[in-house]
Amino acid sequence: MSFFAHAGHWLTSVAYFIPVLVFLIWLGVTQLRERRRRRPRGRGD
Amino acid sequence: MSLIAHGLVGRSDLPIPEWLFGWGAAMVLVVSFVALALLWPQPKLQREHWRALPGGLGRALASRAVELICGALGVFLLGMVIWSGLRGTQSPTANFAPTFIYVIFWLGLVAVSVLFGDVFRAFNPWRAVGWACAWLARTVSRAELPKPLDYPRQLGNWPAVAGIFAFAVMELVVSDGDEPHNLAVATMVYSAATFIAMALYGVEAWIERGEAFSVYFNLFSRLSPFETRDHVVGLRRPLSGLAALKPVAGTVALLAVVIGSVTFDGAAEGPLWTGIAPDIVNFFDDLGLSTQRAFEVTFLVGLTATILLIHGFYRLGTIGARSVGGGFSALQLARAFVHTLVPIALAYVAAHYFTLLLFQGQAFWALISDPLGNGSDLFGTADRQVDYAVIGANATWYWQVGFVVGGHVLALTLAHDRALALYEDTKLAVRSQYWMLAVMVGFTSLALWLLSQANG
Repeated sequence: MSFFAHAGHWLTSVAYFIPVLVFLIWLGVTQLRERRRRRPRGRGD
Repeated sequence: MSLIAHGLVGRSDLPIPEWLFGWGAAMVLVVSFVALALLWPQPKLQREHWRALPGGLGRALASRAVELICGALGVFLLGMVIWSGLRGTQSPTANFAPTFIYVIFWLGLVAVSVLFGDVFRAFNPWRAVGWACAWLARTVSRAELPKPLDYPRQLGNWPAVAGIFAFAVMELVVSDGDEPHNLAVATMVYSAATFIAMALYGVEAWIERGEAFSVYFNLFSRLSPFETRDHVVGLRRPLSGLAALKPVAGTVALLAVVIGSVTFDGAAEGPLWTGIAPDIVNFFDDLGLSTQRAFEVTFLVGLTATILLIHGFYRLGTIGARSVGGGFSALQLARAFVHTLVPIALAYVAAHYFTLLLFQGQAFWALISDPLGNGSDLFGTADRQVDYAVIGANATWYWQVGFVVGGHVLALTLAHDRALALYEDTKLAVRSQYWMLAVMVGFTSLALWLLSQANG
């Protein structure tokens, strides 16, 4: 209950870190694409 | 003092919510990153470019006579801190020692170092006493002194790390760490340890690598365009002083302690820490510690954990940068980019302690006239009052955001320039910086969140 009652407080705190989260997701996606690009293609390709 | 420190005043009329400033700051960093990638294709800061100040001014400013006067003033102030701490009132705000140590020395000298270079080197009382003792010993014995021991390479900056950590513990953990008597005793203990170390390893070797405050202020002085070489003050290219930093063992840890201690100081005022701290205190209480000790150990745990977290976050960034290739180890990258943490440390210190320096710094004039707090008026300034209207709450916030954003843009610039020098392929250099950008965005968001916690 208290978790939701204080949502106003902690949601504001979370808002500060949304850019970091967005950036980390973008970095993860970039890394994955890079890894796929480097992987040698299979026989069927 | 802590109330003044963080300007606990509400900001009622900001045009946008505070957290949106964090998003704006992140955008500024991303735009700066793109601009650097497009407009800064060659490393520019790695080459030395130093010119003496014209007209003999550089030689005059760093002359032996000036150095002697500055050293004597430093020794006088050190003596004043010990004397007022031992003999004066034990009220922290009425005694000269706490305000001088925590505000004028610890914060004021950071600002002076950034503006005018390594000024502390000239005023350093321990260095002045060390050289005076060496001169006296040579004169009395009429012979050369024995050669000091070689400073152990593996020791690097670790003694400085221990010194700055101890200072942070005194400031943030020890419950009566602002009591004048305790500060005077701590100053004497630190002075004794410094004199012994200088006797063993030589004055300059210890000052350059081991003496905590010399190393600390020297890091910030590298942001200044002024640098002293061979007793001549000169000008250098902005930021090139940091690019020339030669990291040794413990340099990364030292900056993690600086950023981590400011972070903990900010977080300790917020609901996150005040929510979990009582449980930790109860845990130590149950182990049989007195309530005061339980509080102190809890804060020590919090401070240490925050420093390790900051260190880990930076190392994570360098591990990520390693993953793009180039053949560097994470440790090599951590050392290669450690100078980028200096403007971040400055941003944290400036933003967090801006109002403390601005408000409590004014108390210096009253305290210098009445150092013991016994009603004396040595210089006729004892009745000077602190003007709290010198800056408003909103203006403070804008300055703080400016410090945070400015510091991180400088860090990004330094990292970009170092990457260009380090990697043979420009594209690889830019890609490695995605991770440093993530670190900068993380540090920026954390800094603004901490300020909102402290000011909220």
